[in-house]
Amino acid sequence: MSLSELAVGQTVFTATYPVTRADLVAYADASGDQNPIHQDEAAAKAAGLPDVIAHGMYTMGLVSRAVREWTASAGLDATLTDFSARFAKPVVVPADGGAEVVVEGKIRKLDATSVELAMTVLSAGEKVLAPARATLVTK
Amino acid sequence: MLNASYAGRSLPPTEPVVITPDSVTRFAQALGLDDDGTVPPTFLISLTLPAAERLIDDPEFGLDWSRVLHREQRFAYHRELRAGAAVSCASTIESIKSVAGNDLLALRTDVHDGEGLAAEVWTTLFVAGDPA
Repeated sequence: MSLSELAVGQTVFTATYPVTRADLVAYADASGDQNPIHQDEAAAKAAGLPDVIAHGMYTMGLVSRAVREWTASAGLDATLTDFSARFAKPVVVPADGGAEVVVEGKIRKLDATSVELAMTVLSAGEKVLAPARATLVTK
Repeated sequence: MLNASYAGRSLPPTEPVVITPDSVTRFAQALGLDDDGTVPPTFLISLTLPAAERLIDDPEFGLDWSRVLHREQRFAYHRELRAGAAVSCASTIESIKSVAGNDLLALRTDVHDGEGLAAEVWTTLFVAGDPA
């Protein structure tokens, strides 16, 4: 696919990812962020949180996954040059059933060689990242 | 409250560390990413935050980690990094802003590889003020 087939305002992907406590433990081990509020209910509640919350960087990592899955499925040969997010609300991950993160990507800006995506990221109906943006430049 | 006189402080670059294929694989797997040998987009936080901690873990600065929330994160990538790259991190306190008794601490870490500046990583931390 080439960028000329895209249009500003177009929704190009919606991806849904389940998040469990075990996922957060694996991410803590891989990233080195062992803050107990991401693993231990008592620590989270002591910090004034309703329950264990996902690392903001875990959620941002899921957004990077959604972007990569889109470029791969669209056959877009592009390099990520800029990636940003503001952590607005926590992703609360109960022990029973976990949580779900939904990432919707829209075209925000477009020119001959680059595309900027704006992502809406929801969990339990709340916007957890606001905004999240990614710029891709074709190779 | 943070010691606002620390704004503008920076540290010399860390010694280069190799981003091992094993660390890239584990990071990619933890996020469900295909491991294609490139460094995952958010991987650098695992190097830049520890590098910045050397600058802000200072009793004179007054940072209490139990009051910290991650507010904003941005990466600018100047080239694609692959597993096996050796990188060094140079951290700067870009600004300290006081908002309604809380602090916003903005950090930037420049990530260099053998060819020069490979990425810039900005992290803004919200530091809750003392309860009144």
